[in-house]
Amino acid sequence: MGTELAFDALADPVRRQILGVLAERAECSVGELVENIDSVGRTGVSSHLRVLRAAGLVTERKAGRFRYYSIDPTGPARDVIDMLHSLFQGALADAGRAADARGKTTDRDIRSA
Amino acid sequence: MPALLLHAEQWTAAPRGVTFGLFGAGAGAGWVFDAVCDRVETGSAVSLRAPLGGADVVEIIGRIGALRPEEYLEIVHDQPWRGRIKLRFRPDRGGTTVRLVAELDESGLEWLLRRRGFPAGRRESPNPRLGLLTSKSGPGNLFAAATDNLAALALEEVNAEGGIHGRPVELVVGDDATDPAVGVAEARRLVRAGCRTLLVATTSATFVAVSRALTGTDVLVVQTLMNEGGESGRLRLQYGERPEDQLATAAARMMRAAGGRRWFLAGNDYCWPRSTHAAARQVLPRFGARLVGERFAALGTQDFSPVIEAILASGAEIVLSTFVGADAAEFQRQGHRAGLGKRCLTLAPAMDESTLQRVGPDAARGLYAVSGYFEQLPTAGNDALLTRYRSEFGRWAPPLSTLTESVFEAVHMWWSVARRVGAEEPKLIADEMRRGRFELPRGTVTLSGGDSAVQPLHLFEAKGTAFALT
Repeated sequence: MGTELAFDALADPVRRQILGVLAERAECSVGELVENIDSVGRTGVSSHLRVLRAAGLVTERKAGRFRYYSIDPTGPARDVIDMLHSLFQGALADAGRAADARGKTTDRDIRSA
Repeated sequence: MPALLLHAEQWTAAPRGVTFGLFGAGAGAGWVFDAVCDRVETGSAVSLRAPLGGADVVEIIGRIGALRPEEYLEIVHDQPWRGRIKLRFRPDRGGTTVRLVAELDESGLEWLLRRRGFPAGRRESPNPRLGLLTSKSGPGNLFAAATDNLAALALEEVNAEGGIHGRPVELVVGDDATDPAVGVAEARRLVRAGCRTLLVATTSATFVAVSRALTGTDVLVVQTLMNEGGESGRLRLQYGERPEDQLATAAARMMRAAGGRRWFLAGNDYCWPRSTHAAARQVLPRFGARLVGERFAALGTQDFSPVIEAILASGAEIVLSTFVGADAAEFQRQGHRAGLGKRCLTLAPAMDESTLQRVGPDAARGLYAVSGYFEQLPTAGNDALLTRYRSEFGRWAPPLSTLTESVFEAVHMWWSVARRVGAEEPKLIADEMRRGRFELPRGTVTLSGGDSAVQPLHLFEAKGTAFALT
């Protein structure tokens, strides 16, 4: 898999958008992707998916007549998106814990006041 | 432009006011909420230390772009990529739900892929490519905050004028991470991508390393910003402000303003500060100055107290500060807390407007800089540039400085020659640029054959978090 291709594949805003939609869920059909992408129709989405697959960013699963797409679990996009998700979710979890601790202190202060 | 969006959500039993109040409070509430800013208000400079995994911590810097107390907070950031982090707070099930949306653009994704160790390259292109080496991470990230924007703006302008022989110029950006070894690797990558000219807007330490590493290759390497010179050759250009000219412009007026003649030299430990101090030993005594001490600290220093104590003990009235980027900001802030501002004025030739935002208005009192450009420079060319910059990048885009604006000018200077001789002729481009006289936002810059240039220099003083002419 050429990472060179990955950079070229990511240079297109529609392809980044497709990747963004896929980053939100485990798997998508072409139809679901088309619903979430305004700028191009079904044909456009399909051709962008071909580029993303060739770049090793997206994988395809066939089930009967249907095809489902997801971010390639072995590709560079998955690594970066997973890292960012855990980075931001971790930050909010830390904030939640700190808020809980502070909320309890505030409750105690109010009760003892 | 559509970007990659990342979502995160968290519920806490704490009320909304308590949760919101954690932001910027330094309460150990995770890297987003532990954002460092002087005040939680719209427009405040802010920095976040994002743990990318392992020991890799990267600093995200920007400003608070929007704020509705207890409801909404938005961070607009410029480094290491341009994006936004939005936080929404809403009352939920007796507590609070915080929703975070982070935007990532193409350059951010590319930067992260590279930082995560995926081999990076670009396919060949029929279009001419221009390389830009900047500092998107490490202590140089602060002074370089506007560099990408200014390069992009200049590219847009030259491409609107037909690019080179009708083909649009593509910009390929490298990040030296404020480290010469990384800078060399990135410079080689830009050359492999087909760049025959590299604009280098980093510390001189990186420029010198890159210049030497690319010896014997047919690539023009241009240092756009202030420098000490010294890298000779047909394919090397260093026309930025020189320390001896800056010091000669500032010396007498600094001593008048300070009411004293005793100078202390303090800066980061690499070639530009050392050369600037050497120039100070030559130039300052000619104006009747006395040098009473000198200290260096490594780039990336956190604790400047040994330097500050030495300055206080020396009885100096003026500090020549050759710290750069995040170090310059930290030195100024720690000096202010130690009472240095009451005792001395500071002349910091490389102090730029982005760094000044982090210094903050209190620690910036008594701080002077000297160079060929500052954001408030009253020229028609600069007015036009600022208008275009703000309309393109918005109100909260980082301020311009001589360090970043030099990149805008370098693109135009390069293009004015390359459009005639072609982008594939680095030697001809260098020869023509060397003979050039350029009308730029900072005024007239004449290269007159040698490697240094003649340009008007100005001494200016920090007023709040901007500079004004003295």
